[in-house]
Amino acid sequence: MNGWILAATVVLAVGLGTTLWGVATGPLGRRVVAQNLSTALVCPGLLLLSQGYDRTSYVDLALLLALLGPVGTLVFARLLADELAEEQPRAWGLTWAAAGLGAVVVAVLCAVTGPGRSMVKLLIVGALLVGGNLLASRAMSGGFPGVSRG
Amino acid sequence: MADAVVVVALLAVAGLATAAVANRDPARQALVLAVLGTALAVLFTVLQAPDVGLSQLAVGSALTPLLIMLSVRKVRRRSAHGKDSKQ
Amino acid sequence: MNPRARLWLVVLGGGGLAALLVAACLRLPAFGGPWHPYGDRAVRAALARHIANTIASVNFDQRAFDTMGEMTILFAAVLGCVVLLRQARDEHRDPPEPCEVAAPVRRYALVVLPIALVTGLYVIAHGQLSPGGGFQGGVVAATALHLMYLGADYAALERIRPVEAFEIGDALSASAYLVLGFAGVLAGGAFLANTLLPYGTFNTLSSGGTVPLLNAAIGMEVASAVVVLLARFLDQAVEIEEGSGS
Repeated sequence: MNGWILAATVVLAVGLGTTLWGVATGPLGRRVVAQNLSTALVCPGLLLLSQGYDRTSYVDLALLLALLGPVGTLVFARLLADELAEEQPRAWGLTWAAAGLGAVVVAVLCAVTGPGRSMVKLLIVGALLVGGNLLASRAMSGGFPGVSRG
Repeated sequence: MADAVVVVALLAVAGLATAAVANRDPARQALVLAVLGTALAVLFTVLQAPDVGLSQLAVGSALTPLLIMLSVRKVRRRSAHGKDSKQ
Repeated sequence: MNPRARLWLVVLGGGGLAALLVAACLRLPAFGGPWHPYGDRAVRAALARHIANTIASVNFDQRAFDTMGEMTILFAAVLGCVVLLRQARDEHRDPPEPCEVAAPVRRYALVVLPIALVTGLYVIAHGQLSPGGGFQGGVVAATALHLMYLGADYAALERIRPVEAFEIGDALSASAYLVLGFAGVLAGGAFLANTLLPYGTFNTLSSGGTVPLLNAAIGMEVASAVVVLLARFLDQAVEIEEGSGS
């Protein structure tokens, strides 16, 4: 057990715990917010795990989650647009906190990795993660104003 | 102590799977299922099976929700259509 | 059978299954032990054929026949979906109206679509080097195309995704896998035997003999199959209406 895995355990416990509570209870809007946060919180955990196991190829998992997690949220934002239009779910505080966590983890890992191809990959993961989550948050509060049909 | 992260992943999977069964509305089930997919990917990663984790992420994070939500939309449209023709 | 008897049957069957599973679990080797008879042999065989990712070696070399079975399952499942979700006689097509999407969402979709497509191809290409492979990469590439539906609308998706081409691609790549298998027979080996091509330099994109080719065939098959599957679902969800036309 090293510090990286310990940090990953804490991030994953907090992240999965809060999203489990958020996604299983409450109104629909809160659940979509929780689904979006699950990407933002689990992806840094996967990055920390890859560093903890000292296997750079595990970064691929974080890359895929950073790419497809926000796409999944867009699916819900688009196909539940009618229901979400009434609620206008907003959780900008939480979203920015999660984005900050992702940015901090990526920055720390970049500092540890040093310049090179792995650092470029980490930066791509970070950009996709932060950008995707902020965008998905934007999309669920009025990103699809006219999609009742189609 | 090194297994703490495995325990966290297992607890998350058990909790989310129970929540997915306990919900009755398909749209909400799909939301829980999307989060369950990421939790399963974490579980596979900490059990050193990244290939399976990647499969789970690829299928569970966007494809399964899209298939379920499209089916939900079709069923809802069909029932709305049925109501219109009765009126 | 009355509900009471049915309940007893479930309790009896479930209890028996639980007892057997617990008995089997107690006899399992301890979790995370040092004894891996299959793993050691699989790793040795993978290294002998210059394949860095043992999972890819198991999937496309040592158990390539099983992978062919899985590919056939996916192929048959998608074929079944295409037949089931076709436009029935009492249904008509009602083209969806173009829809309005907020500008940032549209920009995000247009930026991420090529990135996701390239990531899918990257995961397929590195199948025998790092975690990943044809299935994972194929699903990512197919999902990437559907960002066009999420970020724009159904008509835009249909422009970049000719379904007929993907149906042909699905069939072609499934047969490519079979052809590669029979090539092994013609070369004097066995069906799907990895003796056809030189094994190459360890840990490069072309290492591993036929493994990268089989991997690429699976990647193309999965990507096409997912696109065709989603096309049928989208057709049903946004275009096909009940009633025989208005």
